[in-house]
Amino acid sequence: MGEEILDAQAREKEVPKKQFMTFRCCNEIYGISLENVSEIIGLTQYTSIPETEDYIMGLINLRGKVIPVIDVRIRFGKEALEYNDRTSVIVIQVKETIIGLIVDGIEGVADICTDDILPPPSVSNLRAQSQKYVYGIGKVNSEVKLLLDPDKLIHDAEEEEYEEQEEE
Amino acid sequence: MRILIAEDDFASRKFMLKFLSKFGECDVTVDGMEAVDAYLMALEADVPYDLVCLDIMMPNLDGYQALKAIRDIEEDRKLPEEERAKIIMTTALNEGANVNKAFDLGCVAYAGKPIEQSKFENVLRKLGLIS
Amino acid sequence: MGDDMITEGMLDMFIFETEQGLENLENICLDSKDVGEFDDDHVNEIFRIMHTIKGASAVMMYQNIATLSHKLEDVFYYIRESQPENIPHAELLDYIFEVSDFISGELEKIKEGNESDGNADDLIEQLDAYLKKIKGDTGSGNASEKPAAAPASAPAEKPHFYIAPVASEASRFYTIYITYAKDTEMANIKAYIAVNSLKRIAEDILFTPADIISNPESANVVLEFGFKIALQTTEGPDPIMELVSGSSGIEHVEINECTSDEFIAFCAEAEAPISSAGEVLMAPIEQPTILVESQKPQANASSEKPKGDSAKQETPAKETPAKKAPAKKKAAAKKSETQSFISVNIKKMDLLMDLIGELVIAQAVVLQNPDLKVPGLELSNFNKSAVQLSKITSELQDAIMAMRMMPLKNTFQKMNRIVYDTSKKLGKDIELEVIGEDTEVDKNIIEHISDPLMHLIRNSVDHGIESNEKRQELGKKEKGKIVLEAKNEGGQVWISVSDNGKGLKRDEILAKARANGLLDNRSEKDYTDKEVYNFITLPGFSTKKQVTEYSGRGVGMDVVVKNIQGVGGVLDIESEEGHGSTMTMKIPLTLAIIDGIIFSVAGTNFVTPTNAVTEFIRVTADQLIVEPDGEEYIMIRGDSCYPLIRLNQFYSIKNGKENIEDGIVIILNHEDRKIAIFADELEGEQEIVVKPIPNYIKKVKGISGCTQLGDGSISLILDTGGLL
Repeated sequence: MGEEILDAQAREKEVPKKQFMTFRCCNEIYGISLENVSEIIGLTQYTSIPETEDYIMGLINLRGKVIPVIDVRIRFGKEALEYNDRTSVIVIQVKETIIGLIVDGIEGVADICTDDILPPPSVSNLRAQSQKYVYGIGKVNSEVKLLLDPDKLIHDAEEEEYEEQEEE
Repeated sequence: MRILIAEDDFASRKFMLKFLSKFGECDVTVDGMEAVDAYLMALEADVPYDLVCLDIMMPNLDGYQALKAIRDIEEDRKLPEEERAKIIMTTALNEGANVNKAFDLGCVAYAGKPIEQSKFENVLRKLGLIS
Repeated sequence: MGDDMITEGMLDMFIFETEQGLENLENICLDSKDVGEFDDDHVNEIFRIMHTIKGASAVMMYQNIATLSHKLEDVFYYIRESQPENIPHAELLDYIFEVSDFISGELEKIKEGNESDGNADDLIEQLDAYLKKIKGDTGSGNASEKPAAAPASAPAEKPHFYIAPVASEASRFYTIYITYAKDTEMANIKAYIAVNSLKRIAEDILFTPADIISNPESANVVLEFGFKIALQTTEGPDPIMELVSGSSGIEHVEINECTSDEFIAFCAEAEAPISSAGEVLMAPIEQPTILVESQKPQANASSEKPKGDSAKQETPAKETPAKKAPAKKKAAAKKSETQSFISVNIKKMDLLMDLIGELVIAQAVVLQNPDLKVPGLELSNFNKSAVQLSKITSELQDAIMAMRMMPLKNTFQKMNRIVYDTSKKLGKDIELEVIGEDTEVDKNIIEHISDPLMHLIRNSVDHGIESNEKRQELGKKEKGKIVLEAKNEGGQVWISVSDNGKGLKRDEILAKARANGLLDNRSEKDYTDKEVYNFITLPGFSTKKQVTEYSGRGVGMDVVVKNIQGVGGVLDIESEEGHGSTMTMKIPLTLAIIDGIIFSVAGTNFVTPTNAVTEFIRVTADQLIVEPDGEEYIMIRGDSCYPLIRLNQFYSIKNGKENIEDGIVIILNHEDRKIAIFADELEGEQEIVVKPIPNYIKKVKGISGCTQLGDGSISLILDTGGLL
């Protein structure tokens, strides 16, 4: 039997691993669970929407579907950089919401053993802003990747309360 | 109670066996042909099945055909109504036409998959197969 | 069970047919209300309806509905056979409505995927008592007992049961994988605790290794390979995570939602006893070590087969149970009418609508393609074809819109019941006249106006029309009357609710508005009637002194207006004090595809519907008036003065044109108000497909949606109403 076609279940039974889409942002490598990732596209034009949060850049046209895009740098409280041709958009889906994440560049897909995922250190002033969105630190060989919680990344707790109120 | 299960899918077969074992002695067959044979054998050995659960999508003889065959056998032997097996079709096909066809051919109940166990039990009770 | 329903699932069929039956039942009752009794045809019809519902609900195993229907069927059987005279009609009507309401309520539960757990025992007792009453106390009469062989049901009815599959809407399947930290003690017990905690929410649960309680060796298995649970439940992943994460030592929990096939495959693969919620764990079949080793090769072998086979056999119907919308509504398909109809799944219609939208956009992209803008190209043939293409696309669009049109009849008939109920409870004698119920509107609109319409009618009954005594006092000879009318007007459909009640009191409304600080510096007499009446649509505004069960206190009208605006319409209020009011909903017919004018502000494109644009002009500096408080106005032709909104300021867009002479002024209208906006340039005109702004983005004032332009870029849709 070919190793490449072991299905996920069999693989898990040997050594539990999880796949992450890794990308660069502000000189760090971040990862997001592949389960949430729909696709990667280059950044084309987007339409800004007035009066939205600073990290919400606007809307893009994804094969007929209109989806919002957010700039991860700005979300992390950093200064925005000019977009170049390395800039990419990771389209993620969290429950019913589809959003594009604008990142500096894509690194690749990383298999990280669940054993090697440690909770983030609680003391770290350097990355205070982005800290909220990191749920774990993944070790692959000698590299460290900051694993993001997609739900927290795109939503704010206060925002969710607001949404709940709206629905009432 | 003697129960005959006809189901060609391995997983479903195991499920039905586990589920129905608590009600009585179960025999398992893997297609319509085998099911009709088993039914006949039991009849001749004088230990007929009280309940027959037939899947519809089966090789060799499908559920409808098996149902018809069994009813024909019973008709042929002029078995009175109370002695005829209660037949329940089990299948994922829930379309109206299929259900009515099954009822017309003589089954007493039609259970869509995945099977709602408590409702199934309820029907067995209504049919007087369990108390 | 009708032949035209053969592709529908049993459950849907049952729900649809029962709802139809109940609707007919209600209509018959309302028809008979004034006459005061049922004629023979009515009695037969009602008997037949209840008989059908009884049979169908028995097959579907909804015993409570079956028993209740049976009881009502008995009552009508007696009425039909013995034809008693002078039976209390109003009382009977009440019972019938109660039965209908009970069954409708149960159907709602079933549609949601819940249990039909209603108890109709009281109602059954009441019907029993009524039946006894009309039989007279003699209790004799050869037809008074339930006939063993009812003549109406000629073939002896064999019991037939349909056991609806369990995972219709609500059940979800998960595989849960838990790993424990290497040094965790008694991992098997912890695993057992996890399973146990899930039993609370589990419809079905399975786990491996299975012998975690009985075999201490299983702890090693759990530590080495993790613990796997297959779960069937109606809950979402979050409660599952919560329940499972309770114990210590857990390193990682992964919850994957899967299909029912994968769930069953897991059950087979794991070779473990199926523990249904609440049942005792059975002893393991095999030793744990064998189980582990055999898992690897078996994982491939057996997981292929069940998946393959069950995928093959479940695929035709897999779509049906898992993905059906709980309440599929169908286009009108009455079997008895002579025109032939077919029932179409509304999802297919929506798909068709989406596709025509995409086609319109694609057409724009082709026709506005930059490749065509090369100078010197000879395009006359191309243009001819382009015109032809546009023509056909338009016709296609019209045809599809027409398919989605449904008569308002059903919606209007529901109002009958509401008027009856509400007026009865309030002791008012009110008549409902319905005009134009055959007028057709898009299905989408019907769904959105049903509630507002109900509210307007309740308002009229409750607050508009005076009580019988009051009317007499006022010398109003006519009965209280509500006229519900629908008609086509231009590109709109107008639906109006008129009553001959007391009308709106201008002075009272103005006083309330003043008290709420809603008036500006004009004097009260300068307010037009329309402006005054519109105050009642503001949230929280109510001059009603009493909250009633039926129309609440002022939370109604603003929601009504919002709903109407949600379909692009407006509410027009007319009234004459002492004589009555008329509320008219004016709704544009085609919703999603409209003609739009595109303009830009510093590179950001905006679109606004063409019919919102009155004109666009370039102005000179002297036409711009600036008030001391900073507000600006544009003066046109010396007499019309409009407030000006600079879009670049309004939306904080940088680099927009500042000088009023450099850009373009667009006069927009909304209802009877006009406003001027200042933009950089006009970009063009295009048929646009309105798409909503994704929910993730909070609502922006004045923006009601977005669309794709011919060049593929996205443009925001400016909504004049929102700017005012």
